[in-house]
Amino acid sequence: MAETAVMASFLTAAVGLAVPLALAALGETVSERAGVINIGIEGSVICGALGGALGSLAAGPYVGLAGGATAGCAAALVFAVFAVHLNTDQIITGAAVALGSLGFTGAVFQSRFGATGVALELETVPAWEVPLLSHIPIAGPALFHGAATVYLVYLLVPALWWFLFRTRWGLALRAVGEAPEAAQAAGLPVKATRTLAVLFGGLLGGLAGAHLSLVHTGTFSENMSAGKGFVAIAIVVLGRWDPRGVLAAALFFGCAEALQFALQAMDVDLPYPLLLALPYVLSLAALAGWFGRSRAPAALALPWPKRPG
Amino acid sequence: MIRRIGTLGVLSLVLPLASGGCGDEAGGSGEVQSATAVALLTSGPVSDAGWHAGAYEGLQRIGDSLGLRVSHQQTRTPADFDEAFLSYAEAGYGLIFGHGFEYQDAAERAAKQYPDATFVVSSGARYSDNVVPLIFHLNEAAYLAGIAAGSITRAEVLGMVGGVEIPPVRGTFLAFRAGVEVVRPGATVLETFTGSWDDVSAAKEAAAAQLRRGADVLIHNVDAASFGVFQAVREARAAGRGAWAFGMNRDQNDVAPDVIVGSAVIDVPAVFLQVARQWRSGTLAGPLHSGLESGTVDFVPNPLLPGIVPAAAEARIASARQEIADGRLQVPEIRYLEDEEAGDGGSSGGRGRAQPSG
Repeated sequence: MAETAVMASFLTAAVGLAVPLALAALGETVSERAGVINIGIEGSVICGALGGALGSLAAGPYVGLAGGATAGCAAALVFAVFAVHLNTDQIITGAAVALGSLGFTGAVFQSRFGATGVALELETVPAWEVPLLSHIPIAGPALFHGAATVYLVYLLVPALWWFLFRTRWGLALRAVGEAPEAAQAAGLPVKATRTLAVLFGGLLGGLAGAHLSLVHTGTFSENMSAGKGFVAIAIVVLGRWDPRGVLAAALFFGCAEALQFALQAMDVDLPYPLLLALPYVLSLAALAGWFGRSRAPAALALPWPKRPG
Repeated sequence: MIRRIGTLGVLSLVLPLASGGCGDEAGGSGEVQSATAVALLTSGPVSDAGWHAGAYEGLQRIGDSLGLRVSHQQTRTPADFDEAFLSYAEAGYGLIFGHGFEYQDAAERAAKQYPDATFVVSSGARYSDNVVPLIFHLNEAAYLAGIAAGSITRAEVLGMVGGVEIPPVRGTFLAFRAGVEVVRPGATVLETFTGSWDDVSAAKEAAAAQLRRGADVLIHNVDAASFGVFQAVREARAAGRGAWAFGMNRDQNDVAPDVIVGSAVIDVPAVFLQVARQWRSGTLAGPLHSGLESGTVDFVPNPLLPGIVPAAAEARIASARQEIADGRLQVPEIRYLEDEEAGDGGSSGGRGRAQPSG
């Protein structure tokens, strides 16, 4: 009996830690399928966390979620203007957006709440319990007693898979990411497609941040994204640019993180950095192709139109 | 590293925001008089209501009390440490604080290039003529917090959540554990490191895992991530459990006044002000110790939660405080200051407590 309780709370922690990673990584998947690697997704996450906090303070947690999504989108818009329309280097632009967002959110937070900070106590998004399913032993409470963001992930995974691989729009988006010249020759609006994909990624990144502040912690602090946007990029690789794989990889990261907290709380004397590093090692292995073939979209991170010389 | 690629328009547009920009007055206006300008580097946001916030308050107090020009900059990567020290020294700042032992090496490098500037390193390991370490004996306050914590735990399980396992943090945890053992010899004290000072959700999950393990009193040594620890305790209380938290580094009692029983506090503003005064009068020589003895480190109970710590424990804390201040009680510590005689400017009397005296 005690073991099932331990397992259940471990799974709850794992799902809680996996959801923001999954949201950001699903958004990044769409962006990368369109040929744009946006490491500025980290910026969308922190902007989403602050947007969520401010929205929740103003008008409650659901407005907060909307505010988070909007703020994440806004950070992605900055990225899209430079990286898609002005054709700047995607990696450098993304890094600038990520760093800029960390600084910007810090400045806003400090100007609103004082330089030395306060521990906000935010109204959190209530958890919905799915009848029957939430009573499944062990996994039920973890999977079917969560906030709206949890169920959004469940909906997004099949929806995005269907969109990417079973619709003409999805085919067009992938064509833009694989061969933008050919796509343009076929009459597809490359820049518009990429912009929309980046904005959608920013929207989900913002929701990931809002989940951090409004679901998981109920508070905000500077830098609370703590690299989760960068982790999401690793998850996209591990999940092989497929929403189903991305969900599995995000759950794996969530489990690994929850496991290391559980082990430390049980006084298991393992060097904690080893456990922290495990998911990244696996991502490298995935990149190296140890888990079967995995190929990035052919035009990923390449300038378009091609720069002369 | 990214800052080096400064020619790209997009970077120069966005990066000024990235330096954490808060109250920075360093910008652009050329040379300043070295005896009147003081700078502070922190490696995290000063809005953490803790370690970094205390330093920022110290800098402000120097500005307000002594009328000196002050400037703060948040450094993000170790590569920024050197750059920030050098640019402040070059701009004529005469007293530059690096608030954290991570600044030691960069401070020493900058000190060689700018012998007229003084570099102060919080929790520093070495010193020379113009490198002054501040040694905060926060373990003494953590020991008193441990006595308080041990007196209120019912589960006899307590938890500590840390960021990165650096010596100053290990020292406070070691002393907290020893304090608990004074009143609860058989108690279990759990220890978790999250690998991050800022990751609120990781700290919250680490705290939640300890609470699930049965802990009912938690202390932390992280920065902004402490908000996650306090939230985890709040949630446990909302779920009907008796659980309490302790603050660390700065008086955090008002950060979460409903759950924080007391804080192990460094009065960084007082120490910084003393340092600045000594620097102006030319008497600053390291290392400078702060402890219960000087009153710049202490355990501060939360005035809004009176009666949580039983009177007997309060008396015990008071007597332990006196014994530590008098030097009759040695609190466990992790020494991170290298042999003081080895420093080339070691004029301040070996291992004795050279207290900053205003």
